[in-house]
Amino acid sequence: MRFALPLITILFLCGCVTANVDEMTFDAPTAGIGDGAVVILGRRHAPDYDTEPDFIDCIGDHITRGNSSITVIPERKFVDSLYPWFEPRTAPLGIEGLDRLMTIEPVANKIVDLNLNYMVWVDGRTQDTNSAGTMTCGISPAGGGCFGFGTWGTESDYEATIWNFINNAEVGRMSASTSGQSYMPAVVVPIPLIAPVQDTACQSLGQQLLEYLSAGQ
Amino acid sequence: MVERLWDSMTIVRNYKSLLFGLLSLILSGCAAKEVVVDGSFPEPVIPQLPLTIGVLYTDSFKNHELVDDGSARGEASWRVSTGVAQVEFWSTLLPAAFNNVVYIESIEDLNNYQVDAVFIPSIVDVQYAIPLYTNVKVYELWMRYRLQLAEPEVLMEQASLDIAADDIQAFADWTLSAYGKTPTAFMQSDVDAVNLAAVMALRDAGANFITSFGRVPSVNSWLATTMESE
Repeated sequence: MRFALPLITILFLCGCVTANVDEMTFDAPTAGIGDGAVVILGRRHAPDYDTEPDFIDCIGDHITRGNSSITVIPERKFVDSLYPWFEPRTAPLGIEGLDRLMTIEPVANKIVDLNLNYMVWVDGRTQDTNSAGTMTCGISPAGGGCFGFGTWGTESDYEATIWNFINNAEVGRMSASTSGQSYMPAVVVPIPLIAPVQDTACQSLGQQLLEYLSAGQ
Repeated sequence: MVERLWDSMTIVRNYKSLLFGLLSLILSGCAAKEVVVDGSFPEPVIPQLPLTIGVLYTDSFKNHELVDDGSARGEASWRVSTGVAQVEFWSTLLPAAFNNVVYIESIEDLNNYQVDAVFIPSIVDVQYAIPLYTNVKVYELWMRYRLQLAEPEVLMEQASLDIAADDIQAFADWTLSAYGKTPTAFMQSDVDAVNLAAVMALRDAGANFITSFGRVPSVNSWLATTMESE
């Protein structure tokens, strides 16, 4: 009985830990990827943030799980195999930059070897916003514990831009914005109830890309 | 009675070990942090220049380290050793950039190898910033190099090859900056993050070198002359 109240509170709070998603696809899919490969790259040129590598991996995993015929080249492997042309200093910001890159013979040969059809650039980040609450933790010879309650908001905002290597053109843009509130009640032991904000953004953007790349299949 | 005394002693013993553990944790935050930069560097995908280059790594370059004593500021001190990683990185980059690369270890090597020029990198400055100082959730590292190209004959006149950059009569002498950053990540230590920022800075140095090498005026005219004659 004495555990019932905390349990009910936790279950109630779990219900509140949700993430809202706002997605938008700018161009309708026209043709799928065929038998080529796609690489998903994060933008890393902003001074105060990097698009998280694990977020990029998450999108790639979502696409591969959804359609095993799509070859997703891992970001690190691609960037290393074309070093130094996709470093923050040198990565092309527009499709025109890619044209210039393709005039360098070893780069063009490498891209042909990789059988690359699409390049997807993802720009954005997940960050904590407002936070409230207090928590006090203590330790004594008899033991330790915390008491209090904390809450904070998290927002994710990502935009993906798709470049088609065959047409040398930007062919699509899509975005996902998610937000959520996390809670951490503590009665002796802190229990983090984390809103899956970044995961939701990953599923949203991953699904939009999956539909785009699977069109016509 | 004996049992109660024993129990209380156990508590005191546990309390002491707990206190010791807490003190160790607090003091470890103030202890010097050491980073020996370690990373893997990919081979660049670039057209090779048809030149033979001698590469001279001076002792100060091979053993370079940044030492920041933070004790006066009440902060942790840092020692960031980049020398080994510098040699590994440039030894990956240069053979991809030039048709033939030889490493100059002695004055005799200059006689033994027929090189078009000797490349001598040196580090002018390295700075770092961690979130504690900047309130931005990124670890950053800047490096400034002084790069020189000298005729082998000029170096043969030296008594030793462990020479300061200012004493080298180079025909091309330019600076190159590099920057690396890495965001804070859950469960990532300061040491790991600074190492990653240093690896990113080295990669950036390579990107900057490759894209700017031919645009340095003195290098450009040397390239035009040398490649025309070959």
